[in-house]
Amino acid sequence: MNDVKAIIADDEAPLREFLRTRLSEVWPELIISGEASNGREALDLIRRYRPQIAFLDIRMPGLTGMEVAEKIADACRIVFVTAYDAFAVEAFEKEAVDYLLKPVSNERLKKTVARLKDGLETGVPAPVETLHRLMTRLSNDEELRHLHYVRLQHGDGVRLIPVDDVIYFKAQDKYTLVITREGESLIRKPIKELAAELDQEKFWQIHRGTIVNVRSIDRMSRSLTGKGVVRLKERSETLRVSNRYMHLFRQM
Amino acid sequence: MIELGYGKGLMEFRLDKKRVLTSLALTGLFNTIIALFLTHLGFGGGFSINFVFSQSIGLSMCSFILAGHLLVRQPSILGHAILLLVAMPAGAAAGTFIGARIAGISFSEILQGKPALFIQMLFVGILFGAVITNFFFSREKISQTEAQFQEEQIRRLNLEKKTLETHLRLLQAQIEPHFLFNTLSNILSLLDSDPVRGKAMLVDFTRYLRSSLSRTRDRITTLGQEMDLVQAYLEIHRVRMGERLRYAIKVPDSLRNVSFPPMLVQPLVENALKHGLEPKIEGGDILVQAEDNTDGYRLVVADTGAGLSEDALAGVGITNVRERLEALFHGKARLILEENQPTGLKVTMEIPHE
Repeated sequence: MNDVKAIIADDEAPLREFLRTRLSEVWPELIISGEASNGREALDLIRRYRPQIAFLDIRMPGLTGMEVAEKIADACRIVFVTAYDAFAVEAFEKEAVDYLLKPVSNERLKKTVARLKDGLETGVPAPVETLHRLMTRLSNDEELRHLHYVRLQHGDGVRLIPVDDVIYFKAQDKYTLVITREGESLIRKPIKELAAELDQEKFWQIHRGTIVNVRSIDRMSRSLTGKGVVRLKERSETLRVSNRYMHLFRQM
Repeated sequence: MIELGYGKGLMEFRLDKKRVLTSLALTGLFNTIIALFLTHLGFGGGFSINFVFSQSIGLSMCSFILAGHLLVRQPSILGHAILLLVAMPAGAAAGTFIGARIAGISFSEILQGKPALFIQMLFVGILFGAVITNFFFSREKISQTEAQFQEEQIRRLNLEKKTLETHLRLLQAQIEPHFLFNTLSNILSLLDSDPVRGKAMLVDFTRYLRSSLSRTRDRITTLGQEMDLVQAYLEIHRVRMGERLRYAIKVPDSLRNVSFPPMLVQPLVENALKHGLEPKIEGGDILVQAEDNTDGYRLVVADTGAGLSEDALAGVGITNVRERLEALFHGKARLILEENQPTGLKVTMEIPHE
């Protein structure tokens, strides 16, 4: 086994230096080809030097360690480095991915190095599928995909209003009228897009052109003609419910 | 509490089977006692007649009142009085009629022959009816007070639980594990390469921990203390991030002694670092500013970072601050999020003068 190369990526200089020093003690023959202070640099270094090993911090500007790993696929073996990340560590354990916890101790580093040397000798390729599974495991957060804020024009500036503060959304041609406790405002996003992005547990589409915050609903009653009508807690106007959305209220 | 139920003059009557049956049974018992009592006084026509009449009058009054409660579940004090004024004489009259039928005395005979007796019976019926109704009313009151007391206790326990949870969350937010371990790693690594900076970081970290841990126990602290905490926090991050973090804290000395709830500014600064500066390769600036306006204090945390994306899980810290403002100031405080120019996020907190 000759000339094993590695790169170290961490946005914090003292921590890169610390890891490099520890590695020089535990694995003196290892060549550190380069150090990166963000995800993009790390990707460049891996493409340029083609190291066998990359030590990647998880939280980095530009690209996270995870994103770098995903982009390089099986170009090299990856050791993730993190100070604390309960979810990631659990996933690493489950998928048997190498990881180090900061501050890195020599004992722990020795074990990792032994595993890396083993892997390099037997020539087992880096587990790409494992990485993919890891990604899905960690990105499997429903919350992340929902809309949490809406941008509203306010005076000269743009305000970010938490969707929880919105009472209801009303379609207006290609735009949408956002009704909040503090007033009304138009946004460019069509209601169709909003319907897809909002958390459907918290926001119900009750009409082709209306999405209402469930928390703002006072009650639903039927008009004389049997049509559903929603009364709101903080507004006097009522909202019509079309028949195809009436099922929402059956669970109430 | 009692005020809650009776201050408004409201009392809800639950008309379940159990209540109806116990009411009737108790009334029956009372009626028997009344019959015995009247016979003892020598009133009316012997025990059997008295028994029949008191039972029929008592039970029909009770039924009228129960029926009244069936119609109006939550009578006001006035409504209740009207209900009793109507139900008791009606019940007494109906009871006298029924009693007469059972005893084999024709009702018209009573009316024609002994109108005085009828009026007497009606009077006695209403009198005892009033006593018994009062008994039922106090019984209901006691059980409702007990229920309310229990409800109150549950509410109090829930509130205590919530306070504790908030406390815990606050504590966790201050010593967020990633921050804790990352800072320790930095200090450890600096001890080799740059002991002077390592020591300085350790001093800042100690300062941060000490002030944040002691302050979770005090509900109100000063703005100056919060700013010291924020400065220690930012200083720790500056060692870590180097040139990528620039910051300024602009708080007039006159505002440093103003009392201010703990941990309202630090989460905003943390948010600016985490979602603003850290994702950006070149980093950016953070400005923390406090002003005293005529209508309240204004606190601004502005950054030149990546800004807040609409779908970012962003702002767990911001959500916490929003919830705490609501709990502390009951809608009188505001938190405004704006896009900073040219980039980044500007969070403005408006807090009323106490």
